[in-house]
Amino acid sequence: MNNVAVVSTGQTKFSKDDGDIEKLLFESTRNCIQSIENCESKDIEGVLVSTNNNSKYLGAILSETIGIQPKISHSIEHLCSSGTNALISGYAYISSGLADIVLVSGVESATNPGQVLDWDKSRGSLEHPIYWASMLTKSHKSKFQTTEEELAIVSAKNHKQAMDNPFAYSNQPRTISEVMNSKRITDDLRILDCSRSCSGSASILLASEEKAKKISEQPIWIKGIGQKTTSASFTKNVLEEIESTRIAAKAAYEMAKIEPNDVNVAEVHDAFSVCELMAISELGITDNNKSGEFVRDLFNTENRMINPRGGLIGAGHPLGATGISQTIEITNQLQGKSEKRQISNLKTGLIHNMSAAGTSSSVMVLEN
Amino acid sequence: MKQGIFQISYCERCNDKIWPTKEICHVCFKKCKWKKSANIGKIIEFSKKDSTYFGLVEIDHGIRIMGKISSSSTPETGQIVTMNASFDSKPHYSFIVENN
Repeated sequence: MNNVAVVSTGQTKFSKDDGDIEKLLFESTRNCIQSIENCESKDIEGVLVSTNNNSKYLGAILSETIGIQPKISHSIEHLCSSGTNALISGYAYISSGLADIVLVSGVESATNPGQVLDWDKSRGSLEHPIYWASMLTKSHKSKFQTTEEELAIVSAKNHKQAMDNPFAYSNQPRTISEVMNSKRITDDLRILDCSRSCSGSASILLASEEKAKKISEQPIWIKGIGQKTTSASFTKNVLEEIESTRIAAKAAYEMAKIEPNDVNVAEVHDAFSVCELMAISELGITDNNKSGEFVRDLFNTENRMINPRGGLIGAGHPLGATGISQTIEITNQLQGKSEKRQISNLKTGLIHNMSAAGTSSSVMVLEN
Repeated sequence: MKQGIFQISYCERCNDKIWPTKEICHVCFKKCKWKKSANIGKIIEFSKKDSTYFGLVEIDHGIRIMGKISSSSTPETGQIVTMNASFDSKPHYSFIVENN
């Protein structure tokens, strides 16, 4: 099996306004290809596009737009974790030897059909994610004595960290008090506890070890991958757990031959504040009943270990691009290129991306 | 469902209910029958949006459904509810707290 590395990255700024899918896709791809000197469009053998948008044939459209005729091109959709799943597919094409260099581009427009899963009739008319998020939050509060202030700290921390991310949809700081007094969506959810659907695009070039060493001075290696789907319907979930994350993380750690405490930096899927608390415990970074305390400590010490780019809450959530943007952040951190957001002495980074109330999770481990 | 009767798909061969409803059994892949479900359940979790309670309710031993909850006072987890179901372009479930 060939080793696989991230060799180049490119993004667009995320925005609350609707955007043109093809233009966004081209912009992040152009930024990605122009960021690497020793690789041209014609060297790309695979083009994968991750999106929830209804536009068709985007793999072929992007290929024609950048003037190539790749061996492999197609779209990938898996709701909010489309991006990491496209990267995992790119990894598989390269590790199997079917391609040497694969472009993985994620894109979304702010209004997109990926926020609601019509198929899940067990949600009745309560289709919007705020309803399941309220159930998870209420349940976490009662089982682990999580306070509203601890939940607000997740949002305040991630908004603060997003201020140093030039691609984030908003660079507005939010205090804990502002989060706690923001508009009430339900009894258990404030508007600033929610990530916001955005327009945006993010692209990555993956390469085999042989190519990576020729074209990149700082390849970042994909060392571990875990993906687990436990169901499609939310109502099969145990409310206090994200089982799919726990299983995916175990697989990724085993593949990378590391333990959770080897992780130096992580981008986790904070679709809502409670999701970050649940994710860091299911990933084994902290205990379930200590996740609130853990995040409070990060906030008080200005430790950016979790969601340095601001997470989904701070940076925005263009569904198909999110997992790729998370992976770009971890790549840049491991390369020492995160400027104001840079964390020192990094070896191992983790990406956690999930879909539909955690019914499916993807975890990737990267190393420099 | 479109006639206002809540039914769950049921596999006669596996003697199992399939939820959310599907035409085919996920174990033996045989076509499912429809079976009228019990409409009494208990509240697993709840919250409130504006002035309306909503929550996750379990009926019929393991069938979990999201819907609005009618209650004159704050509901409680474990509380017994009766379910009503209707359908227009999508299903609507509502639960009435017993002894409300």
